[in-house]
Amino acid sequence: MAAESARKFEALEAQAATLLEIFRRGGYEQVAPSIIQPADVLLDQIGEAIRGRTYVFTDLSGEELCLRPDLTVPVSRLYLERHPRADAPARYCYNGPAFRFQPKGASGTHPREFRQAGIECFGVADRDSADAEVVLLVADAVKSAGLKQFRFRFGDIALFYALLDALALPERWRLKLRHYFWRPPAFHALLSRLAKGEAPNSDGPLAEFAATLADKDQARAEELVANYLETNGLPLSGNRTLGEITERLLDHGADLRSEPLPREVATVIDYYLAVEASPREAIDRIAMIAKGAGIDLGPALYMLSRRFDLLQERGIDIGAARFATEFGRDLEYYSGLVFQIETAGDRASPIAGGGRYDGLLRSVGAPREVPAVGSAIHTERLLAAVEGES
Amino acid sequence: MAATLTIAVPSKGRLKDNADALFERAGLALRKTGHERGYSGVMQGLDGVEVAFLSAAEIVHQLESGRVHMGVTGEDLVRETLPDVETSVEFLAPLGFGRADVVVAVPDCWIDVARMADLEDVAAQFARAHGRRLRVATKYLNLTRRFFAKAGVAGYRIVESVGATEGTPAAGTSELIVDITTTGTTLKANHLKVLADGLILKSQAHLFAASGADWTEGARGLRDAILDRLSKAV
Repeated sequence: MAAESARKFEALEAQAATLLEIFRRGGYEQVAPSIIQPADVLLDQIGEAIRGRTYVFTDLSGEELCLRPDLTVPVSRLYLERHPRADAPARYCYNGPAFRFQPKGASGTHPREFRQAGIECFGVADRDSADAEVVLLVADAVKSAGLKQFRFRFGDIALFYALLDALALPERWRLKLRHYFWRPPAFHALLSRLAKGEAPNSDGPLAEFAATLADKDQARAEELVANYLETNGLPLSGNRTLGEITERLLDHGADLRSEPLPREVATVIDYYLAVEASPREAIDRIAMIAKGAGIDLGPALYMLSRRFDLLQERGIDIGAARFATEFGRDLEYYSGLVFQIETAGDRASPIAGGGRYDGLLRSVGAPREVPAVGSAIHTERLLAAVEGES
Repeated sequence: MAATLTIAVPSKGRLKDNADALFERAGLALRKTGHERGYSGVMQGLDGVEVAFLSAAEIVHQLESGRVHMGVTGEDLVRETLPDVETSVEFLAPLGFGRADVVVAVPDCWIDVARMADLEDVAAQFARAHGRRLRVATKYLNLTRRFFAKAGVAGYRIVESVGATEGTPAAGTSELIVDITTTGTTLKANHLKVLADGLILKSQAHLFAASGADWTEGARGLRDAILDRLSKAV
């Protein structure tokens, strides 16, 4: 698919040279991470939805490998190879193939083999300016490749977490809502269940047993659970610990006793997740929702606003951009600002995408959390969009 | 004489024994032609039928491509293997053998887990405690993905397992499994329990017709004759 004609191949090569030139001039060193990656590390990060679309295979030694479905994780691994202590800032750019099975059949906008050109910025502590730097550089790159008409769509995962932190919620529900944010249908089911005060599995012997744990501390509860397992001939086995099983039973018991989530709190979350407007308008609306609910979002909203100021000053048309609180809910490793570049009306096939992923490096082996932000351009789509304009 | 219709039947194991017995009862005994170790045969009492003895998994592929007209194999394999079941095959008749339930099973010490909805919570907790996703050992990649997606469970990853899947949670190479069970004895012996809403598929052997095969008038006639006699013998 990638090089189905000599003309297209040459056009893609020329475009890649332009993009890389811009990236290098921006201070990004060109790297070429391995195409074949260990399946384990990659698939633990990206989850089964993309795993289902990843070419996974076992080599002759029995090792499970995959063709990289994306370059962010491979570049992150490359950073760690060079800086095992993850203690130095680094800026990398790349252009190379990524591979995804297309369940509806490969097509021009959804090829199974496509080339990503992108940048990743690691270890820069000033997150706002690193975010702005990446957005600006990618905008610059697609413009230099000849794209005239495009707009940004933004979201901010950190802002949602700030909202949850500000709301009066039991910690166990906060953790749950954070986790379920990434699964929109389940999130809504959870929210309405909490608001109705329905506990799951509130019937049966388990509920009875969970109730007996009421008011016990973790250590005492673990003893009781260990007894229960022994009495019922259920030996503890596998990787989940007695502590984990007990913790969930305690949560479950607490759910059975607690008041439902106040309707207003559920409504605030619903209102928040419905916000979609230009960034300025969206920020105003979110501020109003927070004010109406009597909560303080802390620095998160101010920081978001500051990032848009920076972008505006440096020539991004923020008035034409969109900000959606829901946006970014499909790639779990993002942790802050998320964005994509779209052409007229085509949200489903963005030209480029990216965002902040401060947690990823640690989960692929870094000894500490590393600030990281990056973006990748879908080069076949960019080429098609540029050719479509002229 | 060239065959008018080709039917694929399992070449080994209990599925083969059951299929042989069923065709025998239906008065359509299967006989190998040529070498005893060979893989083709005829159907006694019905001319123009070629019998292909294949593995249950291979039968699914032959049905999908339309290289055979009919086939006997398990519903679990068909639903797992074919991306678009309804357009590639027709379910002609359930055959009453090869029964197996494809289920989601977890260690029975997970007394805090009873339903699929619990799994996503466990996945969240597990990720916090262990820094990785829950691993589901199975050979049914597609059935698992579809079923988990419908149940809203996403915080997991599949590890492929082609044998002794029930042993993987205790061995620590998975946290839970999706596997077939007939009586539940093996699960119990491995201290696993099936989730209350964890039944993915109640499978049994079926007689299938391949939508993409060359259905001449003669082939359709033979299909109806086979179906008629088999249905009476099931």
